[in-house]
Amino acid sequence: MSIIRYEQTQGKSLGFYALIAGLGAFILAALGSVYFMEHNGHHVTGMSNRIVWGLPHVFALFLIVAASGALNIASIASVFNKKIYKPLSRLSGLVALALLAGGLMVLVLDLGRPDRLIVAMTEYNFNSIFAWNIILYNGFFVIVGVYLWMMFERRMNKYSRKVGIAAFTWRLILTTGTGSIFGFLVARQAYDAVIMAPMFVIMSFAFGLAFFVLVLMASYKWTQRPLGDAIVNRLSNLLGVFVAAVLYFVAVYHLGNLYLAENAGVESFILMDGGIYTQLFWYGQIVLGGVVPLALLYSPATKGNRSMLGLASVLIILGGIAQLYVIIIGGQAYPMELFPGKEMLEGYGGIAAYTPTLAELMLGLGGIAVALIAIAYLVKFLPFLPESLADDVADPHHKN
Amino acid sequence: MDKCQTSIQKNKNLSRRDFIKTTATTAGVATIATGITLTTYVNAAGENPVTNEKRWGMLIDTNKLTEVDIDDMVNACQEEQGWGNEAHSTGNQKAGWIKKVKVKDKATDRISNLALMCQHCDQPPCVDVCPTNASMKREDGIVLVDRHLCIGCRYCMMACPYDARSFVHEALTDQKEHMPRGKGTVEACTMCVHKVDKGEKPACVEAVDSDAVIFGDLHDPTSKINQTLKRVQSTQIRADLNLNTGVRYSGI
Amino acid sequence: MKRLLIVFLTVFLTSVFAYADKHVNLGDRASELKEEGKSEDIHPDLKEIRIMHPNFLMHKRDKTLRQGIRTKRNSLKACVNCHSATDQNDEFMPIDQSGQFCSTCHQKVGTSLDCFSCHRNTPKEDL
Repeated sequence: MSIIRYEQTQGKSLGFYALIAGLGAFILAALGSVYFMEHNGHHVTGMSNRIVWGLPHVFALFLIVAASGALNIASIASVFNKKIYKPLSRLSGLVALALLAGGLMVLVLDLGRPDRLIVAMTEYNFNSIFAWNIILYNGFFVIVGVYLWMMFERRMNKYSRKVGIAAFTWRLILTTGTGSIFGFLVARQAYDAVIMAPMFVIMSFAFGLAFFVLVLMASYKWTQRPLGDAIVNRLSNLLGVFVAAVLYFVAVYHLGNLYLAENAGVESFILMDGGIYTQLFWYGQIVLGGVVPLALLYSPATKGNRSMLGLASVLIILGGIAQLYVIIIGGQAYPMELFPGKEMLEGYGGIAAYTPTLAELMLGLGGIAVALIAIAYLVKFLPFLPESLADDVADPHHKN
Repeated sequence: MDKCQTSIQKNKNLSRRDFIKTTATTAGVATIATGITLTTYVNAAGENPVTNEKRWGMLIDTNKLTEVDIDDMVNACQEEQGWGNEAHSTGNQKAGWIKKVKVKDKATDRISNLALMCQHCDQPPCVDVCPTNASMKREDGIVLVDRHLCIGCRYCMMACPYDARSFVHEALTDQKEHMPRGKGTVEACTMCVHKVDKGEKPACVEAVDSDAVIFGDLHDPTSKINQTLKRVQSTQIRADLNLNTGVRYSGI
Repeated sequence: MKRLLIVFLTVFLTSVFAYADKHVNLGDRASELKEEGKSEDIHPDLKEIRIMHPNFLMHKRDKTLRQGIRTKRNSLKACVNCHSATDQNDEFMPIDQSGQFCSTCHQKVGTSLDCFSCHRNTPKEDL
């Protein structure tokens, strides 16, 4: 096998600076939104005492879930010893860290008192899944950071497999923890399901890989480095498998819920008469985020077409955001069953209204921009990207 | 007196501190004679930590409670704690520490009215999920938010089965002296802990003339609430969750 | 660890000012008490209260909130009651307002003053 040579990107072109400027504008808009929200209080958002987590949480959790998924490429190389993914490992670790940083930024800046972040870091309630998540996120930074170091430092290469296994284990626990934030909420019919945790793990596989594929293709295209079909087609196949798995889990989750009479109400709300949530579920999550990408990835007409793979990845990301919107906001909009067997006439109940504001949207998009700007800058300063991923470099056994 | 002492002894092994406490209790009982007055006596000093020998609770009888009573309870709470006049918050953003709730039985169409607030669970989900220990339960069963530690993550509001908590959506001024409230933190019914510690009853309980709402120590066999709960059929909201609430209802 | 850090920083920052004997704006009631020569009954050691008041308050808040111990000593209400000043209309000015008791020092040493985002910043209504 030929030696993989990693090299920084130039990062001097007009395009690079345009990209940075564009992302910078999004970040500034996000910071402006945060100032607006925190200065006035959350009354300027669409959130309320019924919809306590709004659009920022949708973006934050999407990014956090995708972050752990983006590390998969490195894990496949180190844990499962698939050599062809090895050259992608460094980028995989980078995308994972960048996405997590973006997600956490959104999560923290949407707190009621972000100025008290120090409290969150010093006061731990070990019964709280949330507190566990704080530890898991911080640990993820450390472990993936060490992992990257093992990969960069030639002397340390021999440890990279061991650290890779640790990182893989950690990320599985992390996404389980993220899913459990919802899975353990006994009071809410939409959430009280242990399947939430594995479903979030599978979602992370799909969202993280979609994000990774886009970053990979864009950076090789913009830096004019060769990127062979061998590797791209493999990623494409893998992406298809993950998307199908997400659909499977979604089906099991809803079928399981439908079986229980107590959950019939919330299920018919999400699946049939929930207005925007039903539309987002069927058109956004299932059709755009599931069926169409699968068709694009596997149908003979579009298979192997880079643009179609890019389109599929974008749709998976949009579908993923729709999915989290339905889970997080749809799940809150439907009222809790306070008095089973009774109809609520006054005081509580009804579908809670939620209209996201521009500030919330900009904060969420700012998280994505932070992730992208971190990637764009770090590939410029450190050799994350192999100078070539042409077929004969990436896969010596590849036959044209 | 003897009963009181043995029950305490039964509950736990006496440490030295407990011994002193028990002795003090005995002295208190000897001086003032009843358990209820004893409560007032010990707490009025406000110098000792509250203990789990007491568990404050409330019993709401929906058969006796009129709609006017409920409105009085809500108003008394707003007056006492100073919530409800948030200028910028709209609709569901407004604080709601106690709510008037009307339910209809799906089979019989029977309508019940009740006041819904923090149920002061023995196993509170809000306390379990709070990452910073801001959601907390006092030894005597009152569930509170420590606003010094609250970072406004609102996970407790996701976890609460009773929709009992509110998030402060705007900056506030002119708070009540005994009830600090501020933007970006979560709040809920405190069972008027500042009054209870002085030996008084919560404002909503005082607002109802009849005995439709009874407040007291659930553990104390001589208290009215304990005796009534032994006698009448009562229920907890979402009893299936097994949270052992401090607020009980009868007649629904 | 965090406690130690807070103690260290407060001691470090405030010790510089703890030795100055004057305070620009003591507040109405506190000024009266000082004139009557009673202030030492409340704060026997000025240095101590100046340096340690954040710790006293923090200690007190946990005891009050979590254990229901409601003694007057070190209660924030008592601080506000004595150290608030009235304006020309005889109305109390917020104690965290610029130029008032708390903020004069806090601005000088550049430490944030977070109590009054939740706590009432004037004495009780009927005082």
